[in-house]
Amino acid sequence: MSETPLFKVTIDNITIEVPAGTTILNAARKIGGDVAPPAMCYYSKLEGSGGKCRTCLVEVSKGSEKDPRPMPKLVASCRTTVMDGMEVKNITSPKVVDARASIVEFLLLNHPLDCPICDQAGECHLQDLSYEHGKDGTRYEFQRRTFKKHDLGKYIQLHMTRCILCYRCVFTADQISKKRSHGVLDRGDHSEIATFIEKNLDNDFIGNVIDVCPVGALTDKTFRFKNRVWFLKPMDAHRNCPTCSGKVTLWNRGDEVFRVTARKDEWGEVEEWICNDCRFEKKHTSDWLIEGPRLIDRHSVIAQGHYAGNVGQTIPNETINKVLHGRSPRLLMDIHSVSEVNQPDIDLSSIQGPAHSNNFNSNKD
Amino acid sequence: MAKATQWNTMGRKLLLEKAHVEGIRYFDVYRREGGYRSVEKALKTMTQDEIVEEVKKSGLRGRGGAGFPAGMKWSFIAKPEGVPRHLVCNADESEPGTFKDRYLMEFLPHLLIEGLIVASYALGSNTTYIYIRGEYAWIPDILEQAIAEAKANGFLGKNILGTGFDCEIYVQRGAGAYICGEETALIESLEGKRGNPRIKPPFPAIKGAWGRPTVVNNVETLASVVPIINEGGEEYAKIGVGKSTGTKLISACGNINKPGVYEIDMTISVEEFIYSDEYCGGIPNGKRLKACIPGGSSVPILPANLLLKTAKGETRYMNYESLSDGGFATGSMMGSGGFIVLDEDQCVVRNTYSLARFYRHESCGQCSPCREGTGWMEKLLLRLEKGEGKISDIDLLWDIQSKIEGNTICPLGDAAAWPVAAAIRHFRDEFEWHVTHAAEAQTRNYGLAHYADPIHVPV
Repeated sequence: MSETPLFKVTIDNITIEVPAGTTILNAARKIGGDVAPPAMCYYSKLEGSGGKCRTCLVEVSKGSEKDPRPMPKLVASCRTTVMDGMEVKNITSPKVVDARASIVEFLLLNHPLDCPICDQAGECHLQDLSYEHGKDGTRYEFQRRTFKKHDLGKYIQLHMTRCILCYRCVFTADQISKKRSHGVLDRGDHSEIATFIEKNLDNDFIGNVIDVCPVGALTDKTFRFKNRVWFLKPMDAHRNCPTCSGKVTLWNRGDEVFRVTARKDEWGEVEEWICNDCRFEKKHTSDWLIEGPRLIDRHSVIAQGHYAGNVGQTIPNETINKVLHGRSPRLLMDIHSVSEVNQPDIDLSSIQGPAHSNNFNSNKD
Repeated sequence: MAKATQWNTMGRKLLLEKAHVEGIRYFDVYRREGGYRSVEKALKTMTQDEIVEEVKKSGLRGRGGAGFPAGMKWSFIAKPEGVPRHLVCNADESEPGTFKDRYLMEFLPHLLIEGLIVASYALGSNTTYIYIRGEYAWIPDILEQAIAEAKANGFLGKNILGTGFDCEIYVQRGAGAYICGEETALIESLEGKRGNPRIKPPFPAIKGAWGRPTVVNNVETLASVVPIINEGGEEYAKIGVGKSTGTKLISACGNINKPGVYEIDMTISVEEFIYSDEYCGGIPNGKRLKACIPGGSSVPILPANLLLKTAKGETRYMNYESLSDGGFATGSMMGSGGFIVLDEDQCVVRNTYSLARFYRHESCGQCSPCREGTGWMEKLLLRLEKGEGKISDIDLLWDIQSKIEGNTICPLGDAAAWPVAAAIRHFRDEFEWHVTHAAEAQTRNYGLAHYADPIHVPV
């Protein structure tokens, strides 16, 4: 039996051994942390994806042990395989940092930045990317492009203005669902995701395009404007589904299931594809067997304030009493004396459903 | 087009020698004039490797723009057992300013077919394609007629000339996209898909059309195979100079007296090419030369003083090395041979804008720097052209083009960035004048200024 040879690759001065044929990106992901370049279009579960967004560009400062010449241009790490003895610079290369910042600028050039009303906000890869690799402000002084609206049916909402043309949804429809009825029309900066002559996207596994979309271009119509993701409690759940694995993440508030998504790993990629039935039709807690809270990266806004004890963290012990030797702290100001926001008598977590202005107003009477 | 051009005896013609023989478009006349000799010679007396070797010896460089040695490209083709190989002729000539292939196909379709048969034999391609630009709507008929004639005379089809070699040539029309001239986008389009360039590697020589080893060559490159086989690679290499061997077709246009397609042997100077009566015949109305884009719209534009003489003060010649002398700082490129001349009445800002508009429109939209950057550059250039720009826009343009260049999947990003970079590098004061004299810039052109002044050469 022939074994795949192991190649030694050094990324940002960290050396790791990976099987031949591994891409630079996947080798970097094995190291993890900041060494892993961001990826907006690459999706390990979709064949042929990657290479388009250019956010994962890295510098290859040494080609391989045999041919140590550096590569002349920055390369897309998601589509470049490692060679033995290769040396790669990601965040240690000023060229890469600079190029990446400009890619972020390009991606945001025509992006509407409507995060306050975007359902993807809080779990948007473009938000993370801009925050981590972008610069503040824009040098773009022109009208952002708009598109004619396309209706994709009752399940999926398309916001073409937010799209970064990663092609992930096209690959998903090709490889996961039975039939692809949408694609990229036109070209250049006027290219768009659409169906040719209005069609509904409703076949079997098409809902997964929502999960693979790195931005808010494709969102769940059954969840549209219902809640912010960081107000919801993600829980792993499963059901006996005849078409898919039935393993999902439920996004609840109280007992109400607001939305159902596939489970996503640390790179934001779907672990197992789920069918439309599970995603769009099973919106009762009784439909599901709940396994427990979903592990959310603690840096994510979704993790804020949510059952810290259950997501792999321990609640820190209160140290103030110890430090003050039993004395009570002297409060300089009670915030509620100057602010009407978050009134002490209103407990947000005990409100049924999403908070509403009525909750606050009725208390005033 | 140059009609009834009197071909001077100066300068050797290999491709266009017979272009004006009455009826050369048809098989009988073409054959009578010595056509298809190379097919007989190659198929009957040479092995595949010998042909590749001959093309290598000739030093023939790809005529599509990049100038990659053709023989070397052929030798890269993978030859896995039992997998068909393909030769694809890139006739998607869409570069603004370039129209040499069109001329060749219109006047001498059999020359291309002849070259294709020889190249197909050398590469072992039994199914060969001509991918032709959609806008050349009338040329597929000419080519298909030529193919039918060649087939009827035993030069195509099964068992060509009794040698046992089978070859069919199909003409495939594009749908009007510049990007499909990029070889992997061309292959995608040929396969019936959206013409998005592929990510390389794998290169087409390993995995091309339908995953099979494929060689994509320009029309002129393939036509040049005919004289190489007829006369031998070494004879061909004697023409021209240095690594610029053989002859090159130049499609000259812009402010010249005699626009048209000229075959040059790469030993004449740029000045002679523009001003001699044999070629462009000078600039009309006694105007002075301001600038020139010597190799098709994507190569850097040069001001008159750097065009005629290199930065070292030497005469610039019409060949690969001399045109690129000085790199991008003071040189340009041979490119695809689209020679665009601008006289003193032309506005470089406007010219750069219209090129930027072209690239914005032709970007495939697959990768972000090109998709977003080309549109941004176009908008900034339009603003400058309309006199609504700011001085900082010029620096911004420079920054944008530097961020596009080298960061894209295919060379279209570079092709969009280079003209903007070169225009700002050499004509920055004209851009600034469009800001500082915004109103005046709407009524008159900047003119020649100092762009033709001799450059001081430090001794």
